[in-house]
Amino acid sequence: MPTAPIVTARFAEYVQRDSRTHGMYLRWSFPPYPVGWVSRETIRGYIQGNDPVTGVPLTQEIIMALTQPLTEEEKHPRIEKRPEHPRLLPPDTEENLHRLFLENGWTDGLPIVLPTEERVAEMLTGTDHAPDEVVGMMSVTTHEERLKYTVEKVAVIAVMAGARPEHFPVILALAASGRPSMPSSTTSWGSMMVVNGPIRNEIGMNCGLGALSPVNYANSVIGRAWTLMSINFGDVRPGITFTASTGNNINYNNMCCGENEELSVWAPFHVRKGYKPNENTVSLFRGWSILTGGMGPGQKLIDTMKRMSPFGGSFTFVVDPLVAKNLKKEGWDDPEKLAESLVDEMNPRFKRPGMVNFVVVGGEMNPLYLCTDYSYFQTVSIDPWIPKSGVRKDPRPLRMPVPVMCKDGSCGISH
Amino acid sequence: MGKVTKRLQVLDPRGQPSGIYGRGLDPDTMPWAIHDPVNQPRASVAEFANLQMAPRLDSLEGKTVYLVSTGFAGSLEFMEELQDWFRRNMPGVKTVLRNKKTSMFTDEPELWAEIKANGDAAILGVGG
Repeated sequence: MPTAPIVTARFAEYVQRDSRTHGMYLRWSFPPYPVGWVSRETIRGYIQGNDPVTGVPLTQEIIMALTQPLTEEEKHPRIEKRPEHPRLLPPDTEENLHRLFLENGWTDGLPIVLPTEERVAEMLTGTDHAPDEVVGMMSVTTHEERLKYTVEKVAVIAVMAGARPEHFPVILALAASGRPSMPSSTTSWGSMMVVNGPIRNEIGMNCGLGALSPVNYANSVIGRAWTLMSINFGDVRPGITFTASTGNNINYNNMCCGENEELSVWAPFHVRKGYKPNENTVSLFRGWSILTGGMGPGQKLIDTMKRMSPFGGSFTFVVDPLVAKNLKKEGWDDPEKLAESLVDEMNPRFKRPGMVNFVVVGGEMNPLYLCTDYSYFQTVSIDPWIPKSGVRKDPRPLRMPVPVMCKDGSCGISH
Repeated sequence: MGKVTKRLQVLDPRGQPSGIYGRGLDPDTMPWAIHDPVNQPRASVAEFANLQMAPRLDSLEGKTVYLVSTGFAGSLEFMEELQDWFRRNMPGVKTVLRNKKTSMFTDEPELWAEIKANGDAAILGVGG
């Protein structure tokens, strides 16, 4: 059946390249951008005008797409294959290599640790898995070719992020998810990752005071590694494969933290998802932003949700342990039941699993919650990536200052 | 003696091609699964190799052309205006407007079957 696909001019290069990589020589027509949220007169003008990419009258182009005989190239399409990259880059000076990584868009713009063979070999001591084992595939797009990666490639990313071997099992679990932290969408997604289980404390993650702030080494480098792998395994190329219109600075670290299991009165998040308390997991969420903060009883949660998205949507509440305690006093022993109640009260028509979630994070300095528009997607086990001999820690692990808990009011903050 | 600058050997951070692609969602799949790599259907290079463009028509005169709105914002309005253009400028072309029932990401075999049975050509859009 002769078919004429139409896509706005803003995505001309994107779809043409996508067609080539799929071996489909489609005959596109490109009206100006945008088509959504414009007047009828504007759309009529597009149809009566020219394709801004080719300069051909749009309707003439559409008719030609359906009637002009196929060319030899169209009759015998070829799929453009991407080249395999050699394992090693050509040797160069440290300065030039930093420039190479930056100018090729292989970093997040911040300085990286160069992945020398020695550093990567050391990172590989953080797991028993073979360096050439394929961990997964990833793409930030929905249709482009997924890029595969081995344990060694993930180690390269971990080194670049500034991680140590003790962090490597968590980073491998992120890679095994196959899920990029910054999928390509014009709407500019953000992600969140929450670690559960004993490994949080073993590798010095922050689950308490300032857990979402840049005051903890493990949280910083693990969260960064997820984005560096999304860039290099997911093939982020701004404007080509990555289309986030405004972008999202949550992508720098992906709200990486651990759940404060010690201060939470609720079952840990991963236990609510079917894992055992002593299992180590990382749970992945995605949305757009932190919508607002709030305080107060359970009814305030539904008020917040209705105010933010009156037609339904996804919500993940990042709650201080004090909030969980207050909600428990109100009778909410199980946050899953609270979530179900909130969805029912809000708009059960849109009910779906993972629509409202609670994770307990923070240092009991304020009974405050953050309301995000994040959906829960997946919990990945970290344990398969931990060496049989246990997490491989440095003789003197790198740790930033541990938050000091003010219990006597001497810090000037009253509760 | 000039200064000797040390040269480092480092590993390439980029993933390697797999020959595996994502593809549109199966019917009855929720639209957000398109951005869920765990559940999004996949396709291989071998499957694409069998896809070819259909022979074109000599003319649209007297033919039935389906106009399919994909569901992106403005696409229905665009197809309505395009249908109006055909009525005014090419009245010998019969146009049938269809709005995808599912999301723009989801396969819709019933609609494709209808077009194959009753139509001669199709115009799909507007993406983006």
